[in-house]
Amino acid sequence: MTKILLIEDIPDNAELVRRALSATGYELIHAADAETGLQMALAHCPDLILLDLGLPDYDGQTLAGWLREEPALNATPIIALTAWPEETVRLMVESYGFDGYICKPITKTRVFVAQINSYLKTHP
Amino acid sequence: MPAHLTIDIELVPAHHFTIEQLTAIYNQTRVDYMVPMPMNAARLAEYISTYDVDLRRSLVAVTPSGEMLGVAMLGLRSSRAWITRLGVIPNTRRHGIGQALVASLIDQAAELSINFMMLEVIKNNTPAHQLFLKFGFREIGELLILRRAPRIPPLPPIVADAERLDRLDAMDLIKRDRGIQPWTNQSESFINASEISGLRVALADGSRGWLVYQRQKFILTRFAFKTEVGDPATVAYALLSHLHYQYPRLDTHVENIQIHDPHLPAFYRIGYVEAFRRIEMWRGTPPRQFSFC
Repeated sequence: MTKILLIEDIPDNAELVRRALSATGYELIHAADAETGLQMALAHCPDLILLDLGLPDYDGQTLAGWLREEPALNATPIIALTAWPEETVRLMVESYGFDGYICKPITKTRVFVAQINSYLKTHP
Repeated sequence: MPAHLTIDIELVPAHHFTIEQLTAIYNQTRVDYMVPMPMNAARLAEYISTYDVDLRRSLVAVTPSGEMLGVAMLGLRSSRAWITRLGVIPNTRRHGIGQALVASLIDQAAELSINFMMLEVIKNNTPAHQLFLKFGFREIGELLILRRAPRIPPLPPIVADAERLDRLDAMDLIKRDRGIQPWTNQSESFINASEISGLRVALADGSRGWLVYQRQKFILTRFAFKTEVGDPATVAYALLSHLHYQYPRLDTHVENIQIHDPHLPAFYRIGYVEAFRRIEMWRGTPPRQFSFC
């Protein structure tokens, strides 16, 4: 089963993602901070990581750097979840080695799921 | 209840709350921010200590039933005050809570005979910016928040006589005149912070300068720098090339560099990117002794 790790500190946002992905058959696992996210990523080797840029211990950019240092996770797609302006996000995505980004708030479930599917297909 | 308030609240000194409660209200006020910057309790505690936030003079807006709706903190350093962490939870905004918090913090400073106040507001946070203008704050300039990813390979350090500095030597430099700095970059912030060290370089043409920084487990942050002789961009490039060669695996997060700082070209040249901007605002006139902060 395709496994997605969501690293997001705001419970309402995490719930929104859980609901959006509920009909896809993907398994969603969730961490609310960067350190837990790293541990869960290493323990579960997910197929895709959805990473909020604003986290309470270390931010998403720093965590992306750690994840990219881990040989087991080197090829795992990491997608930034953020409300930052697109121009800034693009800079961060390129600079920190994310594989893409999804802008918050997630308002259209179908579009969100299509984005996830597309990232999974691009990084099988 | 002040006339502008359309919701019944009491402003309670922040020291009546636990650090976990303060963290929770702070995070709740930021959930819809473009740059939310959430914190855990440990980070907020470090923030309070590093930036001399006085919880007895900081405030939480609370309803009669005890619900926390907003927070605002006050940093105090001799004859200066700093407003920070101001926020109101989204569904209770536009009821005058932010206005009440700012007015009370200004009163708190006035009680201590402090007439000079500073703050930073995220650029394009128009409601907060307007609120501060209304209370007599004026724009001083823009500040940059820069990042450099560890995956950018460091360039070989340029040839220079480079000397690593321990905390004591770094503290000696940090107390020298660097002009008026934003609160986060003032001498006291470095004195209060842990894991501070520095680097001094001298180039063959006689240029020289220094950089003081905080090295945390995964991040280089909190930079102060000065060119003593020579072109600032050249000296900064020498400093940064040595720094990143020394710590190639660390992420870098530099806050509140003034937009016209002459060292900036070196940052961009070495792979830093702009994350976002803040606007620095002041109220009152800087005290004379402030020039060495």
